[in-house]
Amino acid sequence: MEYTFDFNAVSLAPLLKGLWVSLELTVAANVIGIVFGFGLALLIMSPFKLVRLPFMLFVEFFRCTPAIVQIVWIFYCVPMLFDVFLDPITMGVLALGLNLMAFNAEAYRASIQAVPKEQIDAGIALGLTPVQRILHIVFPTAFRASVPVLLTNGIVIFQQSALVAIVAIQDLMYQGKSLATETYRPIETFTVVALIYFAVSFPVTQIVGLLERRRQLLVS
Amino acid sequence: MAMSFSLPLVKMQALHKSYADGAIQVLKGIDIEMKPGERVVVIGPSGGGKSTLLRVMMGLEKIDSGSVTFDGKPYISSGVKESKTVIDMSVRRSIGMVFQHYTLFPHLNVLQNLTLAPCKVRGEAKAKAQDRAQTLLERFGLGAKAKAYPAQLSGGQKQRVAIARALMLDPKLMLFDEVTSALDPELVGEVEQVILQLAAQNMPMMIVTHDMWFARNIASRVIFCAGGVVVEDGPPEQVLGSPKEERTKEFIDRVFHINQ
Repeated sequence: MEYTFDFNAVSLAPLLKGLWVSLELTVAANVIGIVFGFGLALLIMSPFKLVRLPFMLFVEFFRCTPAIVQIVWIFYCVPMLFDVFLDPITMGVLALGLNLMAFNAEAYRASIQAVPKEQIDAGIALGLTPVQRILHIVFPTAFRASVPVLLTNGIVIFQQSALVAIVAIQDLMYQGKSLATETYRPIETFTVVALIYFAVSFPVTQIVGLLERRRQLLVS
Repeated sequence: MAMSFSLPLVKMQALHKSYADGAIQVLKGIDIEMKPGERVVVIGPSGGGKSTLLRVMMGLEKIDSGSVTFDGKPYISSGVKESKTVIDMSVRRSIGMVFQHYTLFPHLNVLQNLTLAPCKVRGEAKAKAQDRAQTLLERFGLGAKAKAYPAQLSGGQKQRVAIARALMLDPKLMLFDEVTSALDPELVGEVEQVILQLAAQNMPMMIVTHDMWFARNIASRVIFCAGGVVVEDGPPEQVLGSPKEERTKEFIDRVFHINQ
């Protein structure tokens, strides 16, 4: 191969500016996903079919369509259908946050259902009310069990956030694309972009592994 | 005739309970009267309804029909609608239960396990509950474990913590559901000692156990339950020593591995 690599053309400043936007999107989406995901989990587990069904449909919609379609749909269809015009970042957060909410709700649901029935029995035997049992027994146990999956979903959303470049949000991917076009150095630019995504994600995946190993020790 | 006129602590009348829409009948008309201060040990083959009986007493299971009064007050009854069981929650609070699988809350340390219910259910001040908990733990030889998490304890320690946790609510009746069945043999003794300690203080209790040595040592009365009914009911010497009923005799022989 006759290609000479030249990384000098890749200036880090715009890429780091883009990374900052990507991180903002990720953090905001995770706040939505972690907080409202739990509420959504309780709703899809409701004993009342009329409550349960619409929210299950919501979850399945986000789980069964590509994230890029969701982003494009929210960017172009929501303003037209509902006549609301939000700034691009808010729209991006909304698209990614709703998606993450659906996936986190599923993670919460699985952990809530994995809380042993005996724990609930013990709560009843101790006279705790249903709300106290959810607050002091089910939620803490389920939340701890969910943490590895929540972190994994969170890091997936960081990577999915690259998709918002398509609707002109100036995230890391968008800055990388501009830089590649300006410098005619796509190979170098996208290599650096990939390394930046990796540098942020890799520590988190290691933490997930650590948490899972520690949890196995605790359970056994 | 010598008779005690003390009111029964527990009065179960015609308790019926089934699973799978009546397909499996677990309790087929149980009548038990328990006086204050009695320690009733329930023995019998698996699936005979022993554990279900205790779970009904704790208000963990619905009943099909029948009723339970506690300390003279109505406690459990089958409602007008067939699927409804009415449980008086204020009465239920004076009953404590310990389960086979410890059921300590894994995310709370020993002290927090003990103080959760007193603080949340009775609104007791945290400091006061902690003092009581520490005293109770010392009594059970667990004073040094207050800050330990359940995962750091042995089975025997966990079960003693579970007993202490139930006692924090000052129960008037304790239910023990096969509390030593999941333990390694060498840990059984320490848990049984704690229960014997309670017995010495006249705590009324209902115990389901397969440990006949323990049954003989703790019971003031033994009930043999099989096929959802009470087959035999009497003092431990009689039921365990020279049972009248053939089914009791068969069971006792089998448990003690006596071959004819």
